[in-house]
Amino acid sequence: MTGPALLLLLAGLAFVGWLSARARAVAFRAPKRRFSSLPGHHAWYVALWTILPPLAFLGVWSLVSPALVTDAVLATPAAAQLPPPGFERASILSEARELAQGDAFGAFQPLARALEPAYAAAQARYDWIATAVALLLALAGGGWAYTRVRPGFAARTRTERIVMGLLLAASLVAIMTTIGIVVSLIWEAGRFFARVPAADFLFGTHWSPQVIDPRDPGASLGALPLFWGTFFIGAVIAMAVALPFGLMSAIYLTQYATPRVRSWVKPMLEVLAGVPTVVYGYFAALTVAPYVRDFAVGIGVETASSESALVAGSVMGIMIIPFISSLADDALAAVPASMRDGSLAMGATPSETISRVLLPAALPGVVGGVLLAVSRAIGETMIVVMAASGVANLTLNPFESTTTVTRQIVDLLTGEAEFDSPKTLAAFALGLTLFVITFLLNMIALSVVRRYREAYE
Amino acid sequence: MSNAAPFSTRRPTDWATPAMQSRVRRRYRAERRFRLLGLAAVTLSGAFLLFLLGSMLLRGAGGFLETRVAMPIDFARASLDVDPRRLQGRAADLALAGAGLEGAVDDAAVAAFGPDLGGRILSDGAWLRVREAIKDDPSVLSRRVVMSLPVASPIDVAAKGPGSVEAEAVVASLRSGDLLSTGLNREFLLSADSTDPTRAGIWGALKGSILTMLVTLLLAFPIGLLAALYLEEYAPKNRWTDLIEVSINNLAAVPSIIFGLLGLALFLGTFGLPRSAPLVGGLTLALLTMPVIVIASRNAIKAVPPSIRDAALGVGASPIQVVFHHVLPLALPGILTGTIIGMARALGETAPLLMIGMRAFIAAPPDGITDPATVLPVQVFLWSDEVGRGFVEKTSAAIVVLLVFLLAMNALAIHLRNRFETRW
Repeated sequence: MTGPALLLLLAGLAFVGWLSARARAVAFRAPKRRFSSLPGHHAWYVALWTILPPLAFLGVWSLVSPALVTDAVLATPAAAQLPPPGFERASILSEARELAQGDAFGAFQPLARALEPAYAAAQARYDWIATAVALLLALAGGGWAYTRVRPGFAARTRTERIVMGLLLAASLVAIMTTIGIVVSLIWEAGRFFARVPAADFLFGTHWSPQVIDPRDPGASLGALPLFWGTFFIGAVIAMAVALPFGLMSAIYLTQYATPRVRSWVKPMLEVLAGVPTVVYGYFAALTVAPYVRDFAVGIGVETASSESALVAGSVMGIMIIPFISSLADDALAAVPASMRDGSLAMGATPSETISRVLLPAALPGVVGGVLLAVSRAIGETMIVVMAASGVANLTLNPFESTTTVTRQIVDLLTGEAEFDSPKTLAAFALGLTLFVITFLLNMIALSVVRRYREAYE
Repeated sequence: MSNAAPFSTRRPTDWATPAMQSRVRRRYRAERRFRLLGLAAVTLSGAFLLFLLGSMLLRGAGGFLETRVAMPIDFARASLDVDPRRLQGRAADLALAGAGLEGAVDDAAVAAFGPDLGGRILSDGAWLRVREAIKDDPSVLSRRVVMSLPVASPIDVAAKGPGSVEAEAVVASLRSGDLLSTGLNREFLLSADSTDPTRAGIWGALKGSILTMLVTLLLAFPIGLLAALYLEEYAPKNRWTDLIEVSINNLAAVPSIIFGLLGLALFLGTFGLPRSAPLVGGLTLALLTMPVIVIASRNAIKAVPPSIRDAALGVGASPIQVVFHHVLPLALPGILTGTIIGMARALGETAPLLMIGMRAFIAAPPDGITDPATVLPVQVFLWSDEVGRGFVEKTSAAIVVLLVFLLAMNALAIHLRNRFETRW
């Protein structure tokens, strides 16, 4: 049975359970007697017991069944001719799967055609098992719950306990995601560091993953130029653009602008923040890059590249403006009005009040905001993929080409390399480094902001 | 009080002296400068936005249009072997394709424009237009008709703006004969990707985006909402709750490409789900969007005043009833606003989807969530990499479509916020 049909059937069963439990509960209600639960509580109790066990089963099943089907196919005699595990084997198997599911009409590999019946048979068998088990679970759960629908049964407490469990499970998804990220990054990066010494990776200055010497892979996988490029583009150039603009916009909007102006400009900044990064990347590569290159050549920089750090960094800075502006806005708003009023009452002009009283008082909040912005800038991908270069270069010249960690992750993972070559695994090592750095930046920034907010509350 | 000492022996400042007056003037000048600086920052940020949107619109406008050339086709003389009775219903496509229509159109082009130009003036998809015209009116098969057919990409580029010298010359000669016209490019909105810019469309990517967003919404909204309710209303103050809060706040700030790596290692590597599928894209984006929804929902729930809860508890509601019957309905507008903003962010996300392989060339729109697909922002990225000059305007046009969707979602969110925002 297909997925949607099965889900509809389960929902139907749950509805039948709901109706029958409600009818039974209504039947035993008598006047002048107090019950712990309304009929609706009994109904929901049965409905939840009908639908939750099969759903949990199907959730797990949809994750493990593709592997089970593949195993069943590999056990057939036709699979004996398959090449050893690798890219070719994976492509034959996926072609056979597509044939079996009716997604493809012809196969390039004759072996895929031979495996198709085995795939179809295994798929059908496991689908049948899944349907049967899901329906059995639904009937068993619903039936058991139905037998408990009695006048003395505290259905309300039980139902609420189930709902509470669901709430808790939903909030655990966040922890599971974090654990998933950490484990998968550490696992793959661990395989990388088993082959490449960590010191070579972290402190080596030569990065050229296209030609990796199998005897000494660390020699061409030194990521220092990438770290420098990331820092240069994300933390230096982008911040040099975003900080003055963002901070001054926030000051103007909170201290000078009339409410009418504010009501127009704030949504405009939100739009600037909502533009997808791929659009900024296209804008940088197509519109900004030629101007910057011509300008650099004009002032006599011979090595100027059209994929310069300056282009990617400045467009990234524009992207970050609204982010800094809104965080600085919050920080300025958190300074007690009495400080501002006191300064103005002493005769200071608004600009003196802002630069000598408000900004120093709001400084921790602003610094926290800048750290968050840096963490966001160094994790930004599409702008550097489209506007920065792919060649690692340890340089201070903003007109020369520079590459970043995120750009290299994309480049490393889009080739046709097999899953456990040092090249692919290097992407996970870079990802782990990026995750650790942004995690530390976020933690510091959040704790700075929190402590500062508590100081004024 | 006879011997009261003066509080200060300093004489009061004489503001009328020139020194003092110039000092005041200097301070006021600094004030004006500072204020202008702020105004300049805001204005320039606005100018950036206008420039960005304006340049995309200007470049993209051409992508929605196509250049057509008027060309006579003499079907009576073309050796088309078509039985007019078969031109009804679904058999028509097959009958016409088998009849050598494509060759007949090419022959007609050569007859009209000469052997050199005739071979490269028409778009590869031009004969499909002729096919549609024949299906609409089979009687043309016995006549000589003049049809407006889309031109090939180099000529299309030259007709809309500066193109290659050769194509410019062709356009000039066609213009002098008044043969060129411009019309709406319907294929751009209705077809999928193609290697020929005149035939490439965004419907495939748009459909992929819709399917991906559907998966994301179905997963991220319920999970995010339930997690927010738990954390805000029920969670005990202990180390576990702190851990959940820290991981949600941190996940909201993790670079999106890391989620792509997670999707690659977990969904593709460990679970063996199909590559390039909206299902995997939706799962990955759901993990990315969930923290945004949780944070927005918590703020909305926090804004509901405690008196509501106390009143409900006071008349005997259970904690679950308090939340689901009273708090949730009041917080729902804020929660929906946060959800729409999170979904808008997911719709524009590109990097994590590149990681899970949604960057393949896909020439047919996906039919389900496990079919290979691409999404709108990835399509923009793919076209921006194409060498053909015809793709420049297609890229910008795709960006315009993407921005229209995002602006519509943001406008809806702002509208919801203004309409239902309650100040307690």
